[in-house]
Amino acid sequence: MESKKMCLGLFTGSVDKLTAAGVVISGAAAMDMKVDIYVLLQGARAFRKDIGDDAGKLQMAENPALKEEFMESLKNLKVKTWVEFFREAKEITDVKIHICGLAGKIWGGEKLDDFIDLADDICGIGAYLSSAEEADINLFI
Amino acid sequence: MTAEELQGLKVTKSVDARGTACPGPLLEAKKAIGTIMPGEIMEVLSADEGTKVDIPKWCTKQGHEYLGTIEESGYFRIFLKKS
Repeated sequence: MESKKMCLGLFTGSVDKLTAAGVVISGAAAMDMKVDIYVLLQGARAFRKDIGDDAGKLQMAENPALKEEFMESLKNLKVKTWVEFFREAKEITDVKIHICGLAGKIWGGEKLDDFIDLADDICGIGAYLSSAEEADINLFI
Repeated sequence: MTAEELQGLKVTKSVDARGTACPGPLLEAKKAIGTIMPGEIMEVLSADEGTKVDIPKWCTKQGHEYLGTIEESGYFRIFLKKS
């Protein structure tokens, strides 16, 4: 059986939505899906080497006042950080992380090396849409 | 299978995922299934309510046979046979 393919447009740079994306791709990994992630605008900032898991540098997408409660609950429930979710999914299944070139430049990342080691390449919108066209599941977070 | 039949199964691999929330138990199951042979039985222990829905669905998609769930005090024992 050929594995299903998921294409995720990851626009967000918010810690709550990045965590949700991490849970979704973990599920995809458990189901042996092939996952292509296209990291767009705000997402590329979160993927910068000096940001990543540093939640102090990330905002909440929903109700900023709840950030402290959210982070505390994640810790108590032993939920992985968003970067750990992405890393584990990559270890289990074929997950490729593509950084949008324009987004990278906006946040001062010109080269692959400027981003956390999970990023596979820097690409353009054509690559994203080609992948989206072929995917069984398309998500935009 | 009845709870009694499930109790009597010879379990090759027991995965204790009670310390993790979703998607932890599913990922633990995914990692452990590779360590047993087709026809062997695995149980997943989870305190996460969602797992008893997730694992049967996952079995259907992956082709494994879901055998049933026993509800213990504060956690679930979910049984499946590897295809």
